[in-house]
Amino acid sequence: MLGRGLKRKLSDYEENMAGLSSAFDSSRGLPYPLKRQLVLNMCLTKLQTYKMLVEPNLHRSVLIANTVRQIQEEMRQESNQQPVNICPGIAPASHSYTGMESPGISLQLPSGVGQQESHCCDLRSFPENTGLKLEDDRQDLKGAECVFGSFEISNSTSYLKDLAIDDIFEDIDTSMYDSDFCCPPLMPTDLSELDHIMEILVGS
Amino acid sequence: MPVFLALQSRRVIPFWGRGAAAASSAASRRCDEELYPGSSRAQQCAQPCPSCWEVPADIISTVEFNHTGELLATGDKGGRVVIFQREQESKNQPHRRGEYNVYSTFQSHEPEFDYLKSLEIEEKINKIRWLPQQNAAYFLLSTNDKTVKLWKVSERDKRPEGYNLKDEDGRLRDPSMITVLRVPVLRPMDLMVEATPRRVFANAHTYHINSISVNSDYETYMSADDLRINLWNFEITNQSFNIVDIKPANMEELTEVITAAEFHPHHCNTFVYSSSKGTIRLCDMRAAALCDRHAKFFEEPEDPSNRSFFSEIISSISDVKFSHSGRYIMTRDYLTVKVWDLNMENRPIETYQVHDYLRSKLCSLYENDCIFDKFECVWNGSDSVIMTGSYNNFFRMFDRNTKRDVTLEASRENSKPRAILKPRKVCVGGKRRKDEISVDSLDFSKKILHTAWHPSENIIAVAATNNLYIFQDKVN
Repeated sequence: MLGRGLKRKLSDYEENMAGLSSAFDSSRGLPYPLKRQLVLNMCLTKLQTYKMLVEPNLHRSVLIANTVRQIQEEMRQESNQQPVNICPGIAPASHSYTGMESPGISLQLPSGVGQQESHCCDLRSFPENTGLKLEDDRQDLKGAECVFGSFEISNSTSYLKDLAIDDIFEDIDTSMYDSDFCCPPLMPTDLSELDHIMEILVGS
Repeated sequence: MPVFLALQSRRVIPFWGRGAAAASSAASRRCDEELYPGSSRAQQCAQPCPSCWEVPADIISTVEFNHTGELLATGDKGGRVVIFQREQESKNQPHRRGEYNVYSTFQSHEPEFDYLKSLEIEEKINKIRWLPQQNAAYFLLSTNDKTVKLWKVSERDKRPEGYNLKDEDGRLRDPSMITVLRVPVLRPMDLMVEATPRRVFANAHTYHINSISVNSDYETYMSADDLRINLWNFEITNQSFNIVDIKPANMEELTEVITAAEFHPHHCNTFVYSSSKGTIRLCDMRAAALCDRHAKFFEEPEDPSNRSFFSEIISSISDVKFSHSGRYIMTRDYLTVKVWDLNMENRPIETYQVHDYLRSKLCSLYENDCIFDKFECVWNGSDSVIMTGSYNNFFRMFDRNTKRDVTLEASRENSKPRAILKPRKVCVGGKRRKDEISVDSLDFSKKILHTAWHPSENIIAVAATNNLYIFQDKVN
């Protein structure tokens, strides 16, 4: 689901270690935001799988949810610190998501985003978009944390409501994820490796 | 550090039916295990021999010696308990010194169905804990995810014969035919070991039970699940006291679960429980009925240089054990074993790296869920050596005094009877020496989660999936 493995020069990995996670483990060149996104995707995939189980493992669900929360908090802090200037490529979070979609999880981006003309200069309007509503940060994990609610019979209907996975991100600005987002090329040395990884992620 | 040799191992055979017979009826089974090194198949087990019985074994899920070390109990995924008894040393067969033979086998738990939640409750035995022996019978607690049971294991080697009112088949005799009064007498019979459930402690846990611990007062015990700990009296099955409850009012706020709990070996009011955040809380039951406020809180500050996305996951404590002295606690998290002094809460006094070479593989281990494996850890009788398992059927021992450590392997190829276990080494980089194994060649499906150490001697039991290995110190 996460793509085929990279061709490796080193010794073989076991079959059950998929390519991307081994790329994460072995490659020092992967940019940090990419690694982070990878881990986030894996976490969300696992939580999604657990939701389909009759009785998910509470211990694991809590650990994974905490990891997701931690990553999202980090991403949120980064985007809050993001300077509101147009200098291309300087905005720290911008270059990590070029053309990348989260495979395996059908994220339905809020309807407005797809048509958004995303140029670098749109960063200026970033705070005006549906930015991260910090007061709603509990909503981020609501879908994922539904697994906790399934552990006991409860009168509360919120536990029985099956939230779609996209509700997790409904208040996060996903304009950065748009594939039309044109961004100046990365450092040339990273480019070929990053391209390769992109190919895997996008499944081309 | 003791030098261990392979004493015996139990192989798996497919389970041959529920209600598996006790040891005596399996006497006719032969084994094909090599008795002594070099013996040919013809010489092996010419007659049925108790030490070589094959026993049905599923994946072993718990291993525990009793307080004297005479008995060794294993629980498996199929809900069965197999108890081994140490053979008395005899001059006639010196090569069988102190071997463990099957003593009793019984079905402890059956799969159940929770109709309210439409869930199947696994019969897998999560933990076994022995009670100290107080009479001729043995008592143990065994638990699955939801129900704890007290089992009595007793021997019967005599039976009454010569009843007055019934004949030998048990049928009542015609009273008019009875002319003589006779009193039954006890006559010897073949030894029979029977296990009977004496108490069933059910319906007290919403979440999955991960630990049970017998109190030093021998009258109470506790059972811990992900969010609650209950205190039971052995005599009372329809009531238990809730002594710890960390369930938040809103489950969406849940960030921490209980992972293990144990009573202090001497102070019946004290217990500890560990959490998924790598912390240990020591509680005193005298302070309040609900021990929500800990008396001591053990947590090590995070090492910023080792920070990663998986830091929290690998800090989750999978096992906590008091030392026999009661002065220390040992905790196991994914990569390390730590020893804590009860008097120092801010950091452990000793940290041992179990398999630090996995630190650079965490993402892969997360993907295949190995990062959630729950390894246990044990003390030796004198609290000088600690032991825990790893992957590739490796297990590790750390000598706290000499600071030396050793990696051993529990596998059939390396454990011929009487063979001395050879230390193993994992090559972490660079040139791999001849006997070393590289990190990438480790088999992560072969994990040693459960081990046990005899309370006073250097005899260890190691569970490798569905094989049980017993290793003994080489004595010469």
